[in-house]
Amino acid sequence: MEPLTTDMILVMGMIGLAVFLFVVEWVRVDVVAILMMVALPLLHLVTPKEAFVGMSSNAVISIIAVIIIGAGLDRTGIINKLVKPVMALAGKSASRIIIAISLTVAFISSFMQNIGAAALFLPAIQRISKMQKIPLSRLLMPVGFSAILGGTITLVGCSPLILLNDLLAPFNLEPFGLFDVTPIGLALVASGIACFILFGRFMLPKGDDTEGRHEDQSVDHDLAFSDLGEMYELITPDDFTLYRDPVTVLDLRQRYLCNVLAMTEPPDFKTVSPAPETIVHSGIEIVVHGKKEDVSRMAAAEGMQIKDTLETYKFDLDSSKSGIVEAVVAPRSSLIGKSLPEVNFQDRFRVSPMSIYRQEETYRTRMRDIRIQAGDVIRLFGTWKRLKTLQQEGGLLFSIPTDMEYMRPEKAIWAGIWLVTALVMIMGFNIQLSVSLMTGALGMVITRVLSVDEAYQSVDWRTIFLLAGLIPLGIATEKTGTAAWIAQSVLSLIGPVSPIVLLSVIGVLSTLFTLVISNVGATVLLVPLVVNMAIAAHADPRMAALVVGLATSNSFVLPTHQVNALYMGPGRYRTFDFLKAGSLVSVVFLVVMMAMLSLIYGI
Amino acid sequence: MAIITISRGSYSMGVIVAERVAEQLGYSVISRDLLLDASDRFKIPEIKLVRAIHDAPTMLERFRHSKQSYLAYIRAALADRVSNDNVVYHGLAGHVLLKDIRGVLKVRITADIGYRAAREAKRENITEQEARSILEKDDQQRRGWTKNIHGVDPWDSSLYDLVIRIDRFKVDDAVNFICQAAKSEAFHTTEQSIQQIKDMALACRIKAEIIDDFPTLGITCQYGNVIVYTKDKSHGSKLQKQLDEIRKNISGIYNLEIHSGSSFPPDAV
Repeated sequence: MEPLTTDMILVMGMIGLAVFLFVVEWVRVDVVAILMMVALPLLHLVTPKEAFVGMSSNAVISIIAVIIIGAGLDRTGIINKLVKPVMALAGKSASRIIIAISLTVAFISSFMQNIGAAALFLPAIQRISKMQKIPLSRLLMPVGFSAILGGTITLVGCSPLILLNDLLAPFNLEPFGLFDVTPIGLALVASGIACFILFGRFMLPKGDDTEGRHEDQSVDHDLAFSDLGEMYELITPDDFTLYRDPVTVLDLRQRYLCNVLAMTEPPDFKTVSPAPETIVHSGIEIVVHGKKEDVSRMAAAEGMQIKDTLETYKFDLDSSKSGIVEAVVAPRSSLIGKSLPEVNFQDRFRVSPMSIYRQEETYRTRMRDIRIQAGDVIRLFGTWKRLKTLQQEGGLLFSIPTDMEYMRPEKAIWAGIWLVTALVMIMGFNIQLSVSLMTGALGMVITRVLSVDEAYQSVDWRTIFLLAGLIPLGIATEKTGTAAWIAQSVLSLIGPVSPIVLLSVIGVLSTLFTLVISNVGATVLLVPLVVNMAIAAHADPRMAALVVGLATSNSFVLPTHQVNALYMGPGRYRTFDFLKAGSLVSVVFLVVMMAMLSLIYGI
Repeated sequence: MAIITISRGSYSMGVIVAERVAEQLGYSVISRDLLLDASDRFKIPEIKLVRAIHDAPTMLERFRHSKQSYLAYIRAALADRVSNDNVVYHGLAGHVLLKDIRGVLKVRITADIGYRAAREAKRENITEQEARSILEKDDQQRRGWTKNIHGVDPWDSSLYDLVIRIDRFKVDDAVNFICQAAKSEAFHTTEQSIQQIKDMALACRIKAEIIDDFPTLGITCQYGNVIVYTKDKSHGSKLQKQLDEIRKNISGIYNLEIHSGSSFPPDAV
C-alpha cells in the first residue's frame, strides 16, 4: 500500500471542505465548485490546465446541448401535443393515467434534463388533475419520481451518467454507449411506477379532495380552489367614502383578507383585477374572493351588502373568460428573491395575486413583504388572456385552458428532426456525444426553434460550474493517489468481499452521498474511489463506476433533488411524505439495479 | 388621545412634569404601577421586573432570554393600558416600547449633569462628587440597557419629538410646551392610530404568552391579522399547537399565519 503523502492529505482536506460546505450551505454549491477550481491549482494538486479542463469536458458540453435542446422542445409546446394522445390511451382509470403520464415523463426525461422534463409537464398535470378529478398529490409524486428514474434510461438522461465516460477516461477503461444502461433504466422506471400503483395508498398522503367541486354552486365559476373561499358580489353603501380616509383595494385585503377581483369605477366603468391603490367608491359593485367569514366580517364592518349571486359581473367573470390558477415558481425564475410589489403583477400583467403557499403554510396576510422563492405556489386571478401573457413571460408554471395555450407547432417538426438527427449521429455514426448533441442544439437555433439568446438564457450555469469545478477534484483525487489510498484502506478494513457485495455497498454509499452533496458531487468523488476499490478487489471497475452513475439518481428520501423540491409545493407534500414513499422506492431501486446488473453483465 | 411618554435621564424632574401635564390635560399617569399590573397578570415577582427594566442584562440572562420575557410582559401591559386611556407615561423606556405608533408624543426631560448632581446631593445628603458619580453610573447603565435590548441609543435626539432642558426652562414652561404639542394635529387621534395601538396591544399579548417557550419570534398584527415570524426554516407542530391555544384564549385574532425562514419586519414586536 502506498504511504500517505502530503498531497494526499491536502486532497482529503479539500474533499472534506467541499462536503462540509455542501452540507451547511454557507455558500451555494456552484461557488464551492469554483472554489475547488481555484484552490487545487494553487495548492499544486493539479496543473492550471487540469483545473479548468472541466469547462471543456464532454460532460459539460453535452449538458449544455441537452439543456438547449430541451428548451427548444419546450418552446414548441410539443409536450402538450403528447398529452392528448396519451390521455386518450389511458382512459379514465386513475391508475392507468398515472402509469401513462409517468411513462411519458420518463421517456422525455431520458434525453432531457430531469428538472426540465418535470417543469415542462407540471402545467399539463395540473390540468389533468382538474379535468379527471384526481387529487394532484396522487399524481405529482409518481410523476416526479419517474422523471428522476427516467434519467437512468440513456447515458444523456442525467448529469452523473453524462459524466461517467469522462471520469473513466483517466483509467483507460472502455466508455459506455448511449443505450448501454437502457435495460436497467427501463426496469427501474417500471419498478418505480409499480411501487406507486401497488402501494400508492400507503405511500402517498391522504389525498383530500380539495380539488373537487362543490355540490351547490352558488356562483357559476370554477371552484377548484374553494378551500380559500369563493367569489361574492357586494355593493358599497352610499356613504362609504364620507367622513373617513379613502379605503383602497389594498386596505380591504389587508384588513379583511378579501381580494377584490373586480370593481366598478363610477359611474359604470368595470375593471377586472384593479390595482391595489385603487380607491373604493360609494354605491358601487365589487366582487371579492375570500372565506365566507371574512367577507361577512367585511360586509358588517363596512356596511356593504352581499348579493346572493354574481349579477353585474356574471358575464365578465365567467369561467370561460377568467379564473384562478396555481402558479409554481420555477427553479430559475427571474421572480426569485423579489417581493410582490417589485414583480408588479398588477401593473405589468393586471392579474391579482391572492395567496402564496410555501412549505405547508398558506400566506394571505402582508404578502407584500414576502420574498418569492423557488417552489412557491402563487394563486393568481385574472382573465385568461392576461394569464397567458404572464405565462409567456416565463418563470411561472401553470395551466390555462387548452385553446389559450402558447404553441409554435410549425417549429415542433424541426425540433423533432434535430433531436432525431442528434440521436442518429450518436447511434448510427458513433460520433462523440458532445459533438452530436451540440449539432442538434445548433440545428434548433438555426431553424429558429429558439433564438440563440433564448438558448443562452436557458443554460443553467449553476449546473455547469458545479460539474466543471468538481471534475478537477476528481482528477486530483486520482492523480495524487488519494483514491487508491482510500480504496486500499477501506478494503483492508472490510477484508475480502464478493463483487456483488462490494457493488451493493457502493450503491448504498452513492445513495447516501447523493442526498447530502448532490448527484454530481457524489459521482465525481466516488467514481475514482470505487474504480480503485474494484481493481484492488478484482471486481469489474466499469461496473463499479456504473453503479455510482446509477445510484446517485437514487434521491427520493429527502426533497433535495430539484424535481422533488419543485413538486413539493403544488403537491402540498411534507418532508415526511418523501421519507415514507422515498424509503420504499430507494430500497426497490437498489434491489432492481443490482438484479439487472447481475442479469445483464453477469457480475 | 395623544399618549405622551416622558423619558427621564434619571432624577431630572420628569415625574413632576409628567404629573402636571396629566393634570392639565386630564389624562391619567402611569409608571411604576404598570409593573404591578404586569407582575399581577403574568405572576412574576415585581422585583424581577424592576431589575429587568433597570439593569443591563448579564451574560447568562442574555443567553436565557429571561429579560426578553419580562419586557414582553411589561410591553403587553403598557400597550393594553394605552389602548384604553389618555395617558401620560413616564420612565421605563416608553419611547422605545411605543416607538412605531403614530400620535404618540415622545418627550425627553433632561438636564445638565452638574445641576442634577447638585439636586441629588441635596436629597441624599452626600457630596456633589459622590452624587455625580452615582448619576453617571446610572446613566451608563440605562443607556447600555436600552442599546442592548432595543438597539437604540436613548441619547439620540431623533427618537424624540421634544427635548426639554429642565435646568434652563421652568417646570411650568415645560408643562405648557408639552400640552401645546399634544394638541397639534400630528398627534390627534385618528382611526388609524387607534387601530395601530389595538394591533400592537394584541401582538404584545401574544408575544407575552408565547415568549417563555419560544423566545425568538417576531409578531406583527394588522387589523387583527397576526403573523408570527420565525427565523428557523420550518416550525414544529408545538408552535402551531400553542398558537392555536392562544387563539382560543385571546379575542380579536381574525387570522394567524406563521412565516418561517424570514427576517422580522421592522415593526415586529
